[in-house]
Amino acid sequence: MSTVTPVLDLRGVHKSFGPVAVLHDVDFVAYPGEVTALVGDNGAGKTTLVKCIAGIVRLDRGQYLFEGRPVRITTPREASALGIEVVHQDLALCDNLDIVQNMFLGRERRRGMVLDEAEMEEVAADILAGLSVRMSGSVRQPVWALSGGQRQTVAIARAVLGDSKVVILDEPSSALGVTQTRQVLELVRRLADRGMAVVLISHNMNDVFAVSDRIAALYLGRMVAQVRTADVTHAQVVELITAGRSETLEARRDGRPGGRRSAGPLRAGAVPEAAEPPA
Amino acid sequence: MMKAGPSQEEIRRHNLGALLRFVHVRGPASRAILAENLGLNRSTIMALTSDLTAAGLVREELPRTPGRRAGRPSLVVRPESTRVYVLAFDVGVDRLTVARVGLGGVILDRREAARGRVAASGGASGAADPNEMVNALAAAARSLVRKAGDEATCVGAALAFPGIVRRSDDQVMFGPNLDVGGMAIGEVLSRRLGLGVPVAVCNDANLGAIAEHERGAGVGVNDLIYLHGDVGVGGGIITGGRLLGGEDGYGGEIGHMVVNPGGRRCACGSRGCLEAEVGERTLLDLAGRQESPDVPGREAVRAVVDAAARGDVVARDALHRVGTWLGRGVADLVNIFNPGMVIFGGTLRDVYLGAAAQIRSEVATGALAASRERVKLRTAALGDDTTLVGAAEFAFADVLADPVQVLARLRGAPASAPVP
Ligand SMILES: Nc1ncnc2c1ncn2[C@@H]1O[C@H](COP(=O)(O)OP(=O)(O)OP(=O)(O)O)[C@@H](O)[C@H]1O
Ligand SMILES: [Mg+2]
Ligand SMILES: [Zn+2]
Repeated sequence: MSTVTPVLDLRGVHKSFGPVAVLHDVDFVAYPGEVTALVGDNGAGKTTLVKCIAGIVRLDRGQYLFEGRPVRITTPREASALGIEVVHQDLALCDNLDIVQNMFLGRERRRGMVLDEAEMEEVAADILAGLSVRMSGSVRQPVWALSGGQRQTVAIARAVLGDSKVVILDEPSSALGVTQTRQVLELVRRLADRGMAVVLISHNMNDVFAVSDRIAALYLGRMVAQVRTADVTHAQVVELITAGRSETLEARRDGRPGGRRSAGPLRAGAVPEAAEPPA
Repeated sequence: MMKAGPSQEEIRRHNLGALLRFVHVRGPASRAILAENLGLNRSTIMALTSDLTAAGLVREELPRTPGRRAGRPSLVVRPESTRVYVLAFDVGVDRLTVARVGLGGVILDRREAARGRVAASGGASGAADPNEMVNALAAAARSLVRKAGDEATCVGAALAFPGIVRRSDDQVMFGPNLDVGGMAIGEVLSRRLGLGVPVAVCNDANLGAIAEHERGAGVGVNDLIYLHGDVGVGGGIITGGRLLGGEDGYGGEIGHMVVNPGGRRCACGSRGCLEAEVGERTLLDLAGRQESPDVPGREAVRAVVDAAARGDVVARDALHRVGTWLGRGVADLVNIFNPGMVIFGGTLRDVYLGAAAQIRSEVATGALAASRERVKLRTAALGDDTTLVGAAEFAFADVLADPVQVLARLRGAPASAPVP
């Protein structure tokens, strides 16, 4: 894994709103082909970090590497041009337009001067089918008629269409029904399996464990751990979220008999002090 | 086998099969792509393609969606999906499905029927009359065949069964959740169809493993484990790209791996089997729900998972317990087989999505760090059709092994009249 260059690599990010420090010395990485879950209590700074990544909010200090190259992103347009797509819960879809129009908004296909409606429709249907998404009804229905899950699916399909490299979903399931959540989770996993880097913000630990490869935990604006999901338990992640540290995780990492340190150790981030290895 | 080199005829047969298999599994492909992937030169590909075309197995045509690249698109070799098909039977405890699946793996048409469960009275439920089941399957299949018309040829049939099946004679040896009383289902069904094709019988979860490996979440993963939840828990293990069958074909009965010694009694007679700790009845029991003859198990399980997601504490506790045992089982499997992927299908797909935190926590603590490092946990990409698609793949085996011969035989031999 260490030979793979992260798509997103943020180092030492600081962000304050006026006198209020919201992000403090935050490191964050996301790899292609992986789902990285970004977790933390309310107000921990998750949305702010995502807004920094997406150019909606400007970071005060810190390095931003995209595919290994330093970049300066100051507007959403710049982020989008790099292939970063953000799916917010309050989805920015145009209610009066249909599914196809929403997917192609701003990047319509043309044949000469006229829009190539037939091709756009075919491509839209192909993408939805490729994502194993079942839309009851045609791709020509206006999006106001869609359920929350279907709207989300359209937003995600937009990301696929744009050949995005990074898709960030900020709490996709908070307003969804149970079945829709399942559908979105499987979709998220499929996107990553096709090689995208997916960042998933969620308060639902079950969703996090269902699809993530890595978990990044923010606690009061500090990144307290970025670990491989395969190496942690539910209880440990809850400790990281609520207390900013997990003693069992630190003990295990530092010297569990027989368990060699696996890839993706806790990134130093802001773990206050490492526990002594047991004698 | 004598140690003589393969004859020209054998080589040709092998190549025909390889080409047909390629377009069957991977979809339409140009001659150039075929040549590259099969390691044959263009003129050989051309000869093979024309043989397969003459036999009515493939056809060459322009691609349907022209590539976005400029220039003249080249012809693609496409499987004759509507003219060459198999019959796939899927026997679930609550549901019978029969499908006509075209070459290339397209489900062309299907019939489904709910199976009423015989109410459980202490013993195993689902002990419905096997004759009735075969009648229903045969009737559905015949209606599919009729609809297909005379132009289309049925080249094989297979049935997915939730029980252990002896490889040598396709005999169902044990089906705790569905007793067929020693009936040779495959033979009976084949006679009833009268299409001149045998009906192979195979364990459903083994077929699920094959399907997910060829067309689902596990494409390209040569070591994977498929777990299938129906009333019981079945398993299929693929190692080194091949299904692990064992001495008699009974391999992969993961449902009867003991995860909780002295735990709940299992239909197999043992205690604490994975199936006994995570199966449908246990989940419903823990959630304080009755098994009902009116609500198919799949829906009953989904209802518990949904209730848990909405915050129902009883359902949540039940799901957590089941998830913990399932995680222990998976941890053991990861240690023993070092799979690249573990796939959850059937009702376990819902259980996984609803209890992933418990499952993965157990894997994190119970599996060796090295073995768990790269294992991917996934839900079945073929959804509710994994075992059905697996049956279809199995049914295609003959025609893929010897395409031209099999087709000539089936088209030449007048079909015997179906036995009513
Ligand atoms: N534009 C702003 N001006 C001032 N303070 C802000 C602004 N945006 C966010 N904050 C503050 O920054 C902190 C982090 O907020 P953020 O939205 O990033 O948290 P979060 O982790 O996404 O929380 P939640 O889980 O509730 O969505 C909060 O204390 C919030 O009040
Ligand atoms: Mg937020
Ligand atoms: Zn058992």
